Amino acid sequence: MTRAILRTLAILAALAVTLIPILWMVSMAFKPPSEWQAAGEALTWVPRAPTLDNFRYLFGQGGSDLIATLDRTAVKPILSSLLSASVGTLIAMTCGTAAAYGLSRFGSGANLPLALIQLRLFPPMAVMIPVMMMWAFLGLMDTWFGLALVYGIVTLPFAFWLMKTFFDDMPKEIEEAALVEGCTRWRVFTRVTLPMMAAPLAAASLFVFILNWSDYLIALLLTTREWVTIPVYMASLSSSMTGQLYGAKAALGLIAAVPPVVLGVLIQKHLVRGLTFGALKQ
Amino acid sequence: MKLGLRLTLPAQVLVLFISVFPLLMQLYISLTDWSPLSGAPWPRAWEFWNSFANYTDIPGDRRLWAALGRTLLVMVICVPVEFLLGLGLGLLFVEDFPGKKLAYSILIMPMMVVPAVAGYMFFMLFQSGGPVNDLLSVFGPVTIAWLSDPWLALVAVMVADIWQWTPLMFLILLAGLVGVPQDQLRAATLLGASPWQRFRTITLPRMKVIITIALAIRAIEAFKIFDTLYIMTGGGPGVATETISVYFYKITTNDLIWGYVAALALFILVSLSIAAQFAMKRMAR
Repeated sequence: MTRAILRTLAILAALAVTLIPILWMVSMAFKPPSEWQAAGEALTWVPRAPTLDNFRYLFGQGGSDLIATLDRTAVKPILSSLLSASVGTLIAMTCGTAAAYGLSRFGSGANLPLALIQLRLFPPMAVMIPVMMMWAFLGLMDTWFGLALVYGIVTLPFAFWLMKTFFDDMPKEIEEAALVEGCTRWRVFTRVTLPMMAAPLAAASLFVFILNWSDYLIALLLTTREWVTIPVYMASLSSSMTGQLYGAKAALGLIAAVPPVVLGVLIQKHLVRGLTFGALKQ
Repeated sequence: MKLGLRLTLPAQVLVLFISVFPLLMQLYISLTDWSPLSGAPWPRAWEFWNSFANYTDIPGDRRLWAALGRTLLVMVICVPVEFLLGLGLGLLFVEDFPGKKLAYSILIMPMMVVPAVAGYMFFMLFQSGGPVNDLLSVFGPVTIAWLSDPWLALVAVMVADIWQWTPLMFLILLAGLVGVPQDQLRAATLLGASPWQRFRTITLPRMKVIITIALAIRAIEAFKIFDTLYIMTGGGPGVATETISVYFYKITTNDLIWGYVAALALFILVSLSIAAQFAMKRMAR
């Protein structure tokens, strides 16, 4: 009995610690500027006068008395994050799935598993100078597709490893049956294997998308103005008059946090596999 | 060409593209004093040739070694704490209880939050008029300037890291814990084994691989720590919370000494490769 109570208490404490930072940001996002900072009085945990102004402000509508209107709204950064993360996911998943199938069924590219793990081991910061030089040369700096290409490479290890474990787990009998029927190997791959793998493909894609969406450092280095992503834009949000735009930043943080949290819950049962490069299958 | 080769080709090209070209360019630039401000495009970097001067500068780079020490400090504190908290939570979740699914979904949320946003969350929490001080004020008025004190800023950064990545440990370790055969545990209980004995002799041996994977993944990621930290402190006050990645970022974008950065990057890559080889050999045993 006491054990059950102790466990409940421990879990409640963990839930509180988990939720307080998130709830504080949510609360901040709905506070008017006057409540952003505790001015002499007690801190406001729940907004006294909840408002959507912070969100309106991000999209360029009426700055309040305290803050001037934004010269650059959050629309383009959101678009940039969406485009670069999606196309990056497409690149990683296309190359990763094909390579995983090639290795799983034909034993080609035996060097890839280790090479890709090593790619993941190194801090991205340590290869960014040559990438910046190449990108400047190719005219890819400050473009969403330049960013997407790097994302595609950075998340390729996850796409490859995830799909490899999924292919390894798949029974080969169905493919063999299709081969006996006279299908070419390519047709078997595109018409039999891929449709069967629709659910794993979707889970892996969402996982890779979350990773791409979460990036900050790469976008910080490769985008400067036109195509900055949400986190880069968020960090630059401040006004000369009031300094930190707490509420607006919190509102943007909320916008950035919602998609991965929702997608993450959707693919919950694949998370362990994804995060451990398929080593654990839960 | 065989289908297998054709299928793996795009991935091979991408890997080559991101490893060979950058390494060669890095090697070339690292032997020069070239910087984006030199006025010459990078292929003409040889005009600024300085042999191995960049490499011989590395041992005397105090800021680098301080940053490395700090990175390792964050690693050796955060990773074990995350591990122990994750393991403890995992043990609580082995048995069923009402609301388990919901609690599980909530507990793994932090690792899904964009790290930069998590950094901003904790930036707000640790403001001197912020919630952390407000909660501490139950013991009397507190106005700690967390983020402007060299050591407290580091503590704040580590708290954020632990908040965000304990769920990852929890998730992975729980996956291992539910795989431990319950009948063996029950048998041991009947034979009078204490919880600690059961854990040490039945659970732990089965968890060895999983624990190694979990620790390795977190250690690698902790070494790269950038997003949360940079948003919270920018590496400051001064250079008090600079880690390897932050130091790299600063000398790349502020100081623009790209020849030196390239030398340093190669140095780090080679050291990490050696460390990884060593670790893998140890793990294989």
